[in-house]
This record gives sequence, C-alpha cells and structure tokens, in this order.
Amino acid sequence: MYRYDEFDDTLVRERAKQFRGQVERRLKGELKEEHFKPLRLQNGVYLQLHAYMLRVAIPYGQLSAKKMRQLALIADKFDKGYAHFTTRQNVQYNWIRLADMPDVLDVLADVEMHAIQTSGNCIRNVTSDHLAGANLDEIEDPRPWCEIIRQWSTFHPEFSSLPRKFKIAVTAGETDRAAVRVHDIGLHMKKNAEGRIGFEFIVGGGLGRTPFVGPTVREWVAKEDLLSYLEANMRIYNRHGRRDNKYKARIKILVSELGLEEYRRQVEEEFAAQNTWEKVVLPQDEVDRITAYFAAPKFAALPAISAAFDAFKAGSREYARWAKNNLRPHRTPGYVSVHVALKQQGEAPGDASSDQMRALADIGETYALDDIRVAHEQDIVYPHVKLDDVPAVYAALKAAGLHASNAGLASDIIACPGLDYCNLSNARSISVANEIQAVFADPEFEDDVGTLHVNVSGCINACGHHHVGHIGILGVDKKGEEFYQVLFGGRADEKATIATIQGPGLRHEEVAPAIRRVIDQYLTLRRDKSEKFIDTLSRVGQAPFKDALYAAA
Amino acid sequence: MSSERPKLGPDIPKVITAWLSASGRVVYLTADRNWSEELSDAEVLTGAGAVDILAWAAKDQTRVSDPYFMQVTLDGKVAGRETIRETIRARGPTNHPMFGKQAGNN
Ligand code: SF4
Repeated sequence: MYRYDEFDDTLVRERAKQFRGQVERRLKGELKEEHFKPLRLQNGVYLQLHAYMLRVAIPYGQLSAKKMRQLALIADKFDKGYAHFTTRQNVQYNWIRLADMPDVLDVLADVEMHAIQTSGNCIRNVTSDHLAGANLDEIEDPRPWCEIIRQWSTFHPEFSSLPRKFKIAVTAGETDRAAVRVHDIGLHMKKNAEGRIGFEFIVGGGLGRTPFVGPTVREWVAKEDLLSYLEANMRIYNRHGRRDNKYKARIKILVSELGLEEYRRQVEEEFAAQNTWEKVVLPQDEVDRITAYFAAPKFAALPAISAAFDAFKAGSREYARWAKNNLRPHRTPGYVSVHVALKQQGEAPGDASSDQMRALADIGETYALDDIRVAHEQDIVYPHVKLDDVPAVYAALKAAGLHASNAGLASDIIACPGLDYCNLSNARSISVANEIQAVFADPEFEDDVGTLHVNVSGCINACGHHHVGHIGILGVDKKGEEFYQVLFGGRADEKATIATIQGPGLRHEEVAPAIRRVIDQYLTLRRDKSEKFIDTLSRVGQAPFKDALYAAA
Repeated sequence: MSSERPKLGPDIPKVITAWLSASGRVVYLTADRNWSEELSDAEVLTGAGAVDILAWAAKDQTRVSDPYFMQVTLDGKVAGRETIRETIRARGPTNHPMFGKQAGNN
C-alpha cells in the first residue's frame, strides 16, 4: 500500500487546518452558506436530507486494518455507529455535525486519509479493480498507475475547476471489474503489437441522465505518455466542455457532440503540440518508487490444495455455498480472494456497523496480509487469503454477521442511499432493494438463478449504476408518488452495455413481484442452468421478459 | 433529480424549513422566529406575506442553511407532492427506524 511521504502528510494536515478555519467562520456567520458550500464540497461535506454527509476518499478502494479501525472510530465517535461503502469505492457518513468535521478530518489525517476531491468539479478518486494484484487475468498491477494519477491530479490547478466532475478508472485484467467503459476516462492496460504494456484510452463513457459506453480514443498509449495524454484530453474538455448547462457538461456530451473522429483529432493535435517542457514526463525512479509500494506480498509456498479448506467445504451446505459464491481464484497456489458481501437480507446495501468494520479490520490483519479492498459492488474484498485460513475467516465473518453467501448473485444488489438519505432523490432505493432481496431469500432458488446483477438508483443521477445492471431499477417521482422504471440488459464489464428502459414505471410494492415474474420467465426460457440471465436475455431478446414484467400478478 | 423544490403559490399553506448550520439537523421556523426540530412547532403560513418571511429566513445564515417552503395542511401536517420526502425528512430514514427524530436520537 502507498505510504504518505512528508509532502503528502503536510498537504493533508494543512488542508484540514484550513477547513477548520472555514468552518469556524461559517459558524460565526462570517461566511454565508452560498460562499461556504463550494469550500465544504471540496472537503467532501454535503448537506443531505437529515444532516451533513461526509464522503471520505479511499484511493482505488484499498484500506489497511489501521485505516478501517479509524473509520469505525469515526462512526462511533462522530456518527451513529455505522458507515456506508459506495459504488465509487469510498465511504460515507450520514450524521456528522459540521462543527465536528474538522476533528474528523484530523482523525483521518492520522491514518493518511482525507476527503479531498470526493466532490466538486475536479478529478475524483481514481477507482480500480478490487482484485488488483491477486487475480489470474491481470497483465500488470494497475494500482501504481492509479496512485500516479492520484498524485498528478491532486490539486492540479488546471483541472480544479472543470465543467463538471471527472471520474477515471483503471483496470488491467481481461475481465473488466472496474467498469472502465462507463467512466469519463477509462484506462484498460493492454499490450501493443510489440508486447509492450500501455493504456487503451476510453473516453466519454458515463451514466446519469445521458448514459454512454465510452468509445476508444486511442488503442494504446505508452506508459511514459500516460500523464501527457491525460492532460491533452483534459485540456480539450476544459476548453470545450459546456459550462452553460450542467446536464450537458460531462465529457461524454462533448465527445458525442464533436463526434469521435473530431474529438480524437483535437486530442492528438493537443498532444503533439505540447512543448517538451510541458510534457509531464514521468521520471522512471519515481515510477519505481511508487510501484515498490505495491510489490506483491511474500506469499508462502503452499500446495494448490488445502485439506482444511476441503474439509470446511464438505462440512455443511452453508459453508459450501459461501465458498462457491464468495471465493475468487488467486494467481498464487494455496491462496484465494474472499468477497465479503455487505448485503445481508434487509440491510442497506454497502452499510457496515462499527463493530463489523472492526471485525473486518481484525480479519484483514490476521488472515489477509493487512490488505482490505472496497469493491464497486459496495462489498469488501480480501485479495490474499490462504486456503488453509478460509474456515477461520468464515467463522470470524459469521460472528460479525458478515457471512452473506450471495456475492455476484441476485441479492448482492447495488443500491444508492435514495430518498431515505439523499437530498437529490426521487424515490427510495434501499427498501426496494430489500424487497427484491427477499424474493431470493431461499438460497437454493438464488443459486439456481445464478449470476444476476440488480442495480437500483433513486434518481437519474444513477449512483446505483442502474444503466449497467442486468436488471436496473430507477426511482422516479410521479406527482408525489414513488414509481420505478425497470431496465434490462445492462452490463458494466468489458462488454459494457447500457440497459433498455422497458416502459411505464411500477409502484413501489409492484417492483419485487414483477422481478419475480421476470426471473420465472428466465427459468422457463434458459437453455440450461449454465446459461446466465444476461445471456438468455441477449439470445431470446427482451420482449418475453417485458411481457412478464407487466403481466398481471 | 429534484434539487429544486416545487413552487408553492400564496394560497397553499406552508411552513419554512431549513437545516441548522452547525449540526445539519432539520428544523422549522416558529412564529417567534426561532427554529424548532419539531414540525408541530412550526408556524403555518398563508398569503403573500410568506415570501417576506422566507426572505428573512434566508438571511438567518448563522443559524440555518438553505431555507425553503414546504407544503403542509392547515393544521401543519406534511402535504403535497413532496409528502414522502418531507415525511422522511421530518422523521428519519425509513430503513433505519433507530435513527433520527423518529427514534429521538437526532
Ligand atoms: S442516484 Fe440520485 S438518489 Fe441515488 S444517491 Fe445518487 S443522487 Fe442520490
């Protein structure tokens, strides 16, 4: 994990100190809300339905036990004993008093954390593959590049006042677990014809009001050109991105309006025109220094098979189910990645209590090489766990109520906070998600249905990524009543697709029964058990599923 | 996205609601120009003069942020097209009955 140097440390502490002064001035009435708002947003502080909300950055979703414990301490000391992990691999607190915010930022700074660039029209927290450094299909660890981009973009004066917020994601696996095609800029690490590793630049993807799968602007950019090529893109966006209409201000609209060819031409022209002194040349020793922080841990030499793990799986159906659904293969023999779904039936997706956070920290420290990741599915992942330790990890998770065995399945629902917390919302998300979860409460039924991604957003801002759910659900307001549009066919992976709205919205209580009918239709239509929902949908088309959705109950 | 609140004409009964600047807690304007965390304490406003009171509230920046009109019945109950939002705001999150005003631990 990256460790702060003295500059990082000073920067974060100075920022917290500066914010303390701004909060004091606000509370004394020297700063009006309209003047204070941009300042608080630059420190991740929003005003939500019930209270202030603080969003804390977790760069590329990576935490240590020490950091996780500090997040738990903040939940206990300044909030209501819980926190919410988000689709952007960050964490949010819902009840912190403004007067306490400076103290919270100090507590965060003590463990090299902050809330910088978690809001505002700047380059936001860079997200990545939660299995980076562990998965089988990765050509290189993307995290050093995320860290390089983080350092380059932090307080970059040219890009601190962009037309709109800007999200960058990096992945290096064949399978895209970071949804790079639906980000403002997605970087997919690939080899060129000579076998050199570089970056495919995907620009202008995004969700929200106008969803797009981003097109490839350049198939391959050399590592040494990464920041210069990023700057060329950012400059074109900064120059031509619309500032007159916030609904048209994201880079996806610029790319779409200019057309890919013209956008690419302008970027290439800008890139070529950068003077030598302007190029952000990455010194190799600096790249090496940062990369060293992400060196693979010292894995034990272990056999690929573990008798303890095999006995655990054979011990009960509960254990076997969890092992089948929540473990992911690791590139090192004798190791596995563990997916902790923060999706117990009836709980808000992504929420964890402070006790659970401390349990997650303890497990991470004892069994997972102190490496804890937040996945964009609002789940927690331990990338490196010995197969031999899996039984103990499961026992510890179960003791903390963190043993949901539904990772990647229908009840592992991504849902934004919606109208229960969010000031921008149209409709509740959490309760709809919980009602859909209940449809899959029977583990045998859920296993039979298999891989199914359900995403719920409480408004068109799409924080629940409903456009890329196999089944997406969007809350809308119809004359003061909550309605929900249902979408089919989205996916966030390397075959990224924007889902299609099926038709008129359903009432809150109609959603879960309608989803059940859609699933029954799938079970009837699928070729066999190996054909996933999303594959049946693309083979037979959406019409029969739409019929089921709107069929009388 | 509903960051804009609906316009309420002079004939519609309304209260003024905002967030306490220091804590972010939801409050309502009372007849004596104080802010209460209880909706039942709020002054129900009707008529053209309400906009002047809102203008006054908007200047009360040390105490509150972002005041706006919220529709109510004449006896001060949440009403209108934002009933769900304002009920949740007045009580607390529906998925977390142990938090917020509904649980007395605001
Ligand atoms: S999608 Fe809308 S309701 Fe949900 S968190 Fe985002 S802004 Fe709020």
